[in-house]
Amino acid sequence: MAVSLKEFLDNHPKLKVIVYAGKGGLGKTTASAATAYWYAKNGKKVLCFSTDPQASLTDIFERDLFGKGEQELQPNLFAVEIDGDKRIAEFQEHVRNQIKEMYKLDKLPEEIDEYIKTASSEPAMYESATYDAMAELLAEGKYDLYIFDMPPFGHGVRMISMATILDAWIDKMEEARRKAAELKEAEAVIRGGEIERRDAILEELRAIRAKLDLFRETLTNPETTAFFMVLIPEKMAILDTKRALEMFEKMGITLSGVIVNQVYPPSLLERDDLSEFLRNRIQMQQEYMKEIKKELGKYVRAIVPMFDREPKGFEMIAKVAEYLFEKPWEIGGI
Amino acid sequence: MPDKKEEKGVLKEAKRALKETFYGMASHVVVRQMLKQRMLMENLFMLITLGDMLGLPILPPYYSLKLLPYALPNIKSWKRQLLQEKDVTDMLY
Repeated sequence: MAVSLKEFLDNHPKLKVIVYAGKGGLGKTTASAATAYWYAKNGKKVLCFSTDPQASLTDIFERDLFGKGEQELQPNLFAVEIDGDKRIAEFQEHVRNQIKEMYKLDKLPEEIDEYIKTASSEPAMYESATYDAMAELLAEGKYDLYIFDMPPFGHGVRMISMATILDAWIDKMEEARRKAAELKEAEAVIRGGEIERRDAILEELRAIRAKLDLFRETLTNPETTAFFMVLIPEKMAILDTKRALEMFEKMGITLSGVIVNQVYPPSLLERDDLSEFLRNRIQMQQEYMKEIKKELGKYVRAIVPMFDREPKGFEMIAKVAEYLFEKPWEIGGI
Repeated sequence: MPDKKEEKGVLKEAKRALKETFYGMASHVVVRQMLKQRMLMENLFMLITLGDMLGLPILPPYYSLKLLPYALPNIKSWKRQLLQEKDVTDMLY
């Protein structure tokens, strides 16, 4: 028998972050919401976080969260859904005002304004802004547990490699900056000018760096972060998960487990009134379940059934949480 | 009284001149070298942070914009130095 989700989480008491990754539409948001719900019910202060521009948490919690900041949905259960575009627009305004204030300008130099506009429309802007939002939340440390509902696969993992690259760059920048400051100081000593101790850029750089370091350290430590993938018993999802597993390994991340979702209870096969359509589907799924067992068996942490309704609203979220945490092998063991 | 004040002023002026002379003899070259090196360092820094102004996107744009306000005063001279043509007379400095 594989280690169940609850056993796994009980064995990792230092956990700070739980990440759900995987292909779109397989149930990442459902699993995130159910996990957040379960922990909140057990007395932990939880934040469920999504950067998905399709506002998936808004749909599942049935409350408008998109771009509204952190919202408490139930005691201890908070959710935030980042509106990337809005955040970028606000950030641009902030930079403009900061420049005007620092240099006592009424109007920005045209060249600078142009630069702010072009930089904001780059695709990398959206990514780095949402990424920064995640790091920021983690750095604030207001919650016991953070649950990240990652947008479809590639994006989520890229964020971690980006942290590593950024870190190296900031290293170099800090060095260049420090040397420049040293030279300035030496010159001041010789010429008897004033020594400027405070370097605003260096301070800003160090703040960015501290935030990113914490983020990366938390996410690459298997004691503090668990990565789960959600899949369904179908060929494409299995292939995708196997690919992800290789990618995780390359990046030095351990996959904590997989959740198999949308499984039809095989016990249905015993019923005589079962339609041909459903029978075929269940048989197909069971074939793929065998494959999952063989190839990903040691990673399976829970099996969640296909429900007769869309998992939306707290009643259904509670039901999913029950299968995830209390009866992971109810509809078939691994 | 006014004499003394004047005397003081002359002394001060002499002291300053002496100091400048010594500075010119002993440390000016060093300081000039340092200033030049610092300029290169600052240029390198600007290139990493705001490289996308010249078409070299190095830092993610979110962080470039965050540093932009602080780097503003250096932008003009940085661009001029980076885009200027080099010629033989550069070697003299």
